[in-house]
Amino acid sequence: MAATAAWLAPPSRTELIENLVSGVDRYNPSNVGILEDYLYHQIRSEEYDCLANLAILKLYQFNPDLFNPDVVINILLKALTAEPFPDFNLCISLLDDRPPNSALDEPDPLPTLLPLLMNLYNLLHQCRFSAFWVLYRSDELEVIRENYTVECAGFEDAIREVAARSVRATFTRINSERLGTYVDLSGPELEAWVAKQRWTFDSSTGVVSIPPNPDNQIESVVIQEHIKLPQLSKVISHTVQVK
Amino acid sequence: MAHQRVALWAAEPDLDDDINDTDVDIPIPMPSSTNEMYDEPNLQLDEGSLQAMQQHIAQQAAFAQIPDVVKRFIVHFHQAVLDNNLQEVTLAYESGWTRLTEKYYAKTEWPEAETIAPLVNDDQIFLILYRELYYRHVYSRLQPNVDDRFHSYENSCELFNYLLNSDGPVPLSLPANWLWDIIDEFIYQFQSFALFRSRPASKTDDELTMLGSEGGAQAWSSYSVLNVLYSLIQKSRANEWLKARAEGKTDEEIEEIVGEYGTKPLYRMLGYFSIIGLLRVHVLLGDFTLALKVMENVGLGQKAPFTAPTAVHVSTAYHAGVCYFMLRRIPDAARVFTGVLTWVMRARQYHTRSYQYDQINKTADRMYALLALCHVLAPTRLDDNVMNIVRERYGDQIGRMGRGEEGLSTFEELFLYACPKFICANSPPYDDPTALASMLIPPTPTSPSSQNPSVVLGDPTQRHLRAASSHFMSLTPVSSLKSLLKLYTSLDAKKLTGFLDTSGAGVDEEEVLSWMMVMKNAGRCVGRVQVNTGSTAANGEKDNDEGSRPSESLLSGEWMSISDLNFVIDQNMVHIAESTVGRRYAGWFIRNSEHAARVLDSVKASPLPPRVVPTQVQKKSADGPKGEGAPRTTGHKVAWGGVKVA
Repeated sequence: MAATAAWLAPPSRTELIENLVSGVDRYNPSNVGILEDYLYHQIRSEEYDCLANLAILKLYQFNPDLFNPDVVINILLKALTAEPFPDFNLCISLLDDRPPNSALDEPDPLPTLLPLLMNLYNLLHQCRFSAFWVLYRSDELEVIRENYTVECAGFEDAIREVAARSVRATFTRINSERLGTYVDLSGPELEAWVAKQRWTFDSSTGVVSIPPNPDNQIESVVIQEHIKLPQLSKVISHTVQVK
Repeated sequence: MAHQRVALWAAEPDLDDDINDTDVDIPIPMPSSTNEMYDEPNLQLDEGSLQAMQQHIAQQAAFAQIPDVVKRFIVHFHQAVLDNNLQEVTLAYESGWTRLTEKYYAKTEWPEAETIAPLVNDDQIFLILYRELYYRHVYSRLQPNVDDRFHSYENSCELFNYLLNSDGPVPLSLPANWLWDIIDEFIYQFQSFALFRSRPASKTDDELTMLGSEGGAQAWSSYSVLNVLYSLIQKSRANEWLKARAEGKTDEEIEEIVGEYGTKPLYRMLGYFSIIGLLRVHVLLGDFTLALKVMENVGLGQKAPFTAPTAVHVSTAYHAGVCYFMLRRIPDAARVFTGVLTWVMRARQYHTRSYQYDQINKTADRMYALLALCHVLAPTRLDDNVMNIVRERYGDQIGRMGRGEEGLSTFEELFLYACPKFICANSPPYDDPTALASMLIPPTPTSPSSQNPSVVLGDPTQRHLRAASSHFMSLTPVSSLKSLLKLYTSLDAKKLTGFLDTSGAGVDEEEVLSWMMVMKNAGRCVGRVQVNTGSTAANGEKDNDEGSRPSESLLSGEWMSISDLNFVIDQNMVHIAESTVGRRYAGWFIRNSEHAARVLDSVKASPLPPRVVPTQVQKKSADGPKGEGAPRTTGHKVAWGGVKVA
């Protein structure tokens, strides 16, 4: 229950939002403001509520005139940090086809930015972390960096957390340089980050040790079958009858 | 009474002469009233009344062309509906209608509602129900045109208006099959219309104007469809009812909770079917989490609160499975599919003549295809019967997909075959011709900045296909990695890179490590925890008692390990551990001991064959293994090895 409980109902969600997400009011277009405010709250305070964001996208799906590309980009960025949950794909599924909307003041940034975001997502999903950081720091993504992620508090830390999850599951000990490329940190910053993760850093050999967790302890198991008494009851009772 | 009625029109096929007469082109006898009208000297026939009369004449002609059998059927059907005679209505609906359709209306439409109105005394309610059947026939056998689509929408609105907005619950009593078909058809027509309107390129001018008009924008809008479904659920308080049942409340308490609408079976069933309908609509619109959320109180077990038609279970399972698949919860999807497929296989022989038989089969085929995809993405051990069928049908596709990148086209092909026809919630801007024109010009593709193709927001099915394919592509290295790792207990990463670099394409160590991390990720996914009944296939599944409470959300789950090959990397060294499933012999032994016990019992219980009296030929049929042949009649006792004296 633990894994999805937080995803389904984050403790940071207020009751108002809870009613909106679970009830019929989510279809009411006038509620979109409340949900958007909640999104900005998530951005500023490093929280994340997947289902509320999906509710925003659904309202956009039904009311294309409410569509706000900035909101959408922020939602997608937040979803990137939720790997390995499939949130990014769910958001893409809800992005409907829209006729070119000439009512917007500025040109719609979404069609240009969307492929970039999808590339970022693919890199994360394929665990190519160093390539991710290279792309992220490149000039192409300057638009995203300057307009969106700078507002999103803790975005880079959240991505590092994604990398950390994968690393934690796969490695017991990892070279610190390699780890550095995965999380785009080096030197003292890296050491500080490792300490925060509660991993031990051995500065003499430059190796980071990861404490044991259910994923990186392996043992070869032979799954035995358990024969339980009720299964044998028919056979046993038959022998008794015959006697 | 029922027998008589059945004989009434069932006997008709013998009286072919009678039927042939009505098809002959006979001059229309004018009823006396119109004759009198023509005789009136001072009558001024203006355009309007002339047209009305012409229409009246045309209707009379059409009326006369209806075979008598059909007329009798309609009258009888109407009577049954008026009397709220559930059995008669069921009979008429299930066998009468389909038989007459096969016989007379296989390629044409049933007579218009207005034509048969005089037969039923213009009973509007019955006419609404009749029109529902009429349009269903049009949609399934013929091609509906724009007019048909709009009219069927209006008719559905009238029907639901009548059901929801009359004062108090409506005194109708309809069979469960019909109610499910109403909801199912409503959603199907919505889906069909959405697909129709999303293709503006091939429309005639007429159609364009109709779609652009005020009425056109309103017809089959997503909001109204959702509104209908939600209202039905709320009116009948279906959710509360399901919750109360799950908590085991008594009948009186339940009645109190659901109110006057909920106690009537008509509304209760409509409410329950609407929940399933909502699941389907949300899947079509691409919102998979919401789809699973609305099913919270229903759950996915086979214990429906009443005997729902098979089609309901099949539809539920198919759409829920698609949701899990798109949520990347492959084990859950596979489990849902297998469950319903085994059930369908067993129940198949009871359903050969039902209206939904074809549809159930088609859905079952799609589920097999999706199971094949699940197997590729996350191979786990499943029920053997079902897996055999999957392997039979999709064996080479599975093989192709397992070989990495070349399998992508096969994957896409299967996915496109098996997925529901997703729709777009909005229509293209028919009311704005310039915007519509600019939509038809293909948008310039944005420049790709890496190996992924350019992304264009377009056809919803393509979007979902891309999401699924990207997942598949990320898993392509896993199968080759797996086969290599199986051979070792520990392996250096450099050596592993060397092995994988067989094509000389310059696979570097970092990439290999990424693949290993992907493989590790693929080996775990979120899955619903289930109550274990003894044998498990995946290790790490927790024995959790609260797994199957119906109030637990379908979206919750735990991280489970689904791969039998586990590894960990220690700096540059990969350690591998494989888990195997020990031989399972208990089930086999128990089954066979029970069988042997049964055989022993039956042998003991059967009468002993009588002693063979030489002069009489007595055939005794014995249960035991005694031979059936006639005993010897020679009279001699033949000993082993002795020479028979002829």
